[in-house]
Amino acid sequence: MTTATANAATRAAAAVGAAAENGDGRGPAPAEPGSGYRDKPRRFRLTLVDTAAILAAVSAVFLSSLGAVDAAGEPRVVISDGQGGEWIYPLDGDREIQVPGPLGSTTVHIHDGSVAIETSPCPNQTCVAAGSIERPGQWVACLPNQVFVRVEGGSDDESGVDTGTW
Amino acid sequence: MTNRASIPAPGEPRGRLLAFLSALCFFLSAVEYMIPKPLPFMRLGIANLPLLLAVDLLPFGPFLALAAIKVLGMSLVTGSLFSYVALFSLAGTLSAALVMYGTRALFRSRVTSVGISVLGAVSSNAVQVLLASFVVFGRAARIIAPVFLAMGLATGLALGFFAERFSASSRWYARAREDARG
Repeated sequence: MTTATANAATRAAAAVGAAAENGDGRGPAPAEPGSGYRDKPRRFRLTLVDTAAILAAVSAVFLSSLGAVDAAGEPRVVISDGQGGEWIYPLDGDREIQVPGPLGSTTVHIHDGSVAIETSPCPNQTCVAAGSIERPGQWVACLPNQVFVRVEGGSDDESGVDTGTW
Repeated sequence: MTNRASIPAPGEPRGRLLAFLSALCFFLSAVEYMIPKPLPFMRLGIANLPLLLAVDLLPFGPFLALAAIKVLGMSLVTGSLFSYVALFSLAGTLSAALVMYGTRALFRSRVTSVGISVLGAVSSNAVQVLLASFVVFGRAARIIAPVFLAMGLATGLALGFFAERFSASSRWYARAREDARG
């Protein structure tokens, strides 16, 4: 076990050395005559720029999640129709809403504290397949028919990145 | 979109490479489409792999052509070619392509496929969210931003590590790289 690790470390070190000699620090080293290509993938290290790119992406996620959801007040369903129209319904109770869109009518069903797009005139049916949502910050969208359904309010500890989607 | 003269003829090595990577885009789009996902809105972005590899294999003209072909492939597979949804695909892919190519041009050996892939994926998703806020959903679109950006980060990382491993061990890639150098 330890030997294997040590071997791996040596290989990695050798690989880094080879990469440095190669001059571009990445990609396969030119094959030496008769040696053929490497069969084992070489280990590599993230560069400073890689790390900066990842950190930038992480902070973009974090910043975009600030204030993304209006969590104050009673839990409610907000439906947007893509033409600037917005309807707000309470999350409890049982009701069916027809939302008009460019392709036809999308049926949104609020039932027992959760909401789902039940039928949609769109070709891909992604919105129907998304199933029901119930927690603040969750959303279902239908891009082709331009219907956007989200749950707001009723939360005091949830951030914009909702764990329910992961 | 691209200079006609910069697109290589099918017979020459670079032309064969462009054709092969294009076919790979079509194939991976189909694979992407059939993989079940926990959230239907999730995109794995595996169809971006040929683009990621092409950053070091193709000159800018053919690279842009590949990006355009990838959009065509995805739109054909998902059936969204003649709807405005294809616009999202185009905007996302185009921004990712420009960012990926620009990142390599700017940082050369100081960045690996991981950094290139993460920046490409996140910018693609960011542009799509922006487009969604301008075209359809207005301010409501900012609710989808955190999830989409996080998704870009995760899939961009995974694809970048895969591409890095692949390019380090693939004989096909090594040959293509030699061809690209001329």
